[in-house]
Amino acid sequence: MDSILECRNLTKYFPGCLALNAVNLSVPKGKIVGLLGPNGSGKTTLIKLINGLLTPDGGELTVRGNKPGVETKKIVSYLPERTYLSDWMDVRTAIDFFGDFYEDFNKAKAYDMLQRLHINPNSRLKTLSKGTKEKVQLILVMSREAQLYVLDEPIGGVDPAARDYILDTILSNYSENASLLLSTHLITDVEKILDEVIFINRGSVVLTSSVDEIREREGKSVDAMFREVFKC
Amino acid sequence: MLGRLMKYEIRATERIFLPLYGLILAFALVNRLLRAFNPEANDWGNLPVNLSAFLNGVTMTVYVLLVVALFVVTFVVTIQRFQKNLLGDEGYLMFTLPVKAHAHIDCRMIVTLMWTVLSLIVSALSIFILSVDESNMRTFSEWCLSMRREFAEHGASSWLILFECVVLLAVSILAGTLQLYAAIAVGNRSARHRQLAACGAYIGFGIVEQIITFGGFNALNGISPDSWLRAWLGGVARSLPNAALLEIALGLFILYCALFGLAFYALTNYLLSRKLNLE
Repeated sequence: MDSILECRNLTKYFPGCLALNAVNLSVPKGKIVGLLGPNGSGKTTLIKLINGLLTPDGGELTVRGNKPGVETKKIVSYLPERTYLSDWMDVRTAIDFFGDFYEDFNKAKAYDMLQRLHINPNSRLKTLSKGTKEKVQLILVMSREAQLYVLDEPIGGVDPAARDYILDTILSNYSENASLLLSTHLITDVEKILDEVIFINRGSVVLTSSVDEIREREGKSVDAMFREVFKC
Repeated sequence: MLGRLMKYEIRATERIFLPLYGLILAFALVNRLLRAFNPEANDWGNLPVNLSAFLNGVTMTVYVLLVVALFVVTFVVTIQRFQKNLLGDEGYLMFTLPVKAHAHIDCRMIVTLMWTVLSLIVSALSIFILSVDESNMRTFSEWCLSMRREFAEHGASSWLILFECVVLLAVSILAGTLQLYAAIAVGNRSARHRQLAACGAYIGFGIVEQIITFGGFNALNGISPDSWLRAWLGGVARSLPNAALLEIALGLFILYCALFGLAFYALTNYLLSRKLNLE
């Protein structure tokens, strides 16, 4: 199967800790893949390596055959687990900013989503609550017609009622040909949208499987499987 | 893409600089008008001090504080825009834009140069506003006339020297800015105490710069008095007019600053493009 993301023996050290230990994985085209693991398992490190925010200490990572760089950044839409928009901007400026730098950014889609979420485009980002800022970021990221969406804990900071809405927003705004890599530890919430899962623990991949396989072969939900694999 | 990066960099920083420029020029003007309409405003000799003299003192103090603040702010913004916007949380967006790392450095150093030069121009303009009166204007116009005569007399040479001075100012501002960027980028490699490490790196760069400079001078001094090189250099120096010597000296100074600037640029670019590790 064609893959959009490939990691071969990918290794990353931090002082006093091995964050990723010779990770091998691939993300197929057109699939929604859950990157699942407990806190501190290496999910964010892997995602930052995909986006070129960290430099690997060993192994190789490619997105559509290219190492992280200008070419991969054109096709990867990334939602980090933190607020990365400048406070001085208003929402409209942030949309213009994305429109100026990403050729695949669809402004009409962004304004449409803002309207549906009742966010005023003239609001200064400084005045918005943390949750609303996260929604603005999600709108910006999902308004790109990217080939790979990488979402780091997209529902971690929002209340359970908003989670379904956000997952619906993600599902209804990504094209079928694109792939989506989504990291979280809130598995029950995302389970229904996942095609495949990658379990990661202490910097190593411990399981890669399709969700159907887990259900059919093991007779378990992904959440039950996760609890079994990561039992303390 | 550089143009687009600069557009947003200017928009992010203009909110800080433009109001400061406005305030400096306004306080200079108010102070000047106070003295123009009430010559006694300068009279602090007789007590009780009159209201004009009091207002004059206050506006002058605020003006001086604003000018000092302007240069402190220019320095702080230079550091903050690099540290926060590139290596802080906002770096998660900046480094996922489809642009090369050097474009981020180019953008910030050009915008810093722009604000520093504008700050110098605004300060000079405010001093002009403060000091403008009949006798100062006369002195100023006489100085302009004498400069015109000098330029007419020395022709192209004086224009070249003026040009070299402008280039030297720009290159030294850029090299100073790049030294700050390189120190912050080196500090960012440290696992803990990044700001302390950046300060250490900045001081370290200064020491290396001094060692190279003194090493160069010592090497020149060390040339034997009998050597052909010293004889040749002496011959060249004697044969050239003073203006030409100044042109060469300024040119060498530009080259000296540019070389250090290039080294800091290369180091920062290497660290941001090959060794980036956002925490």
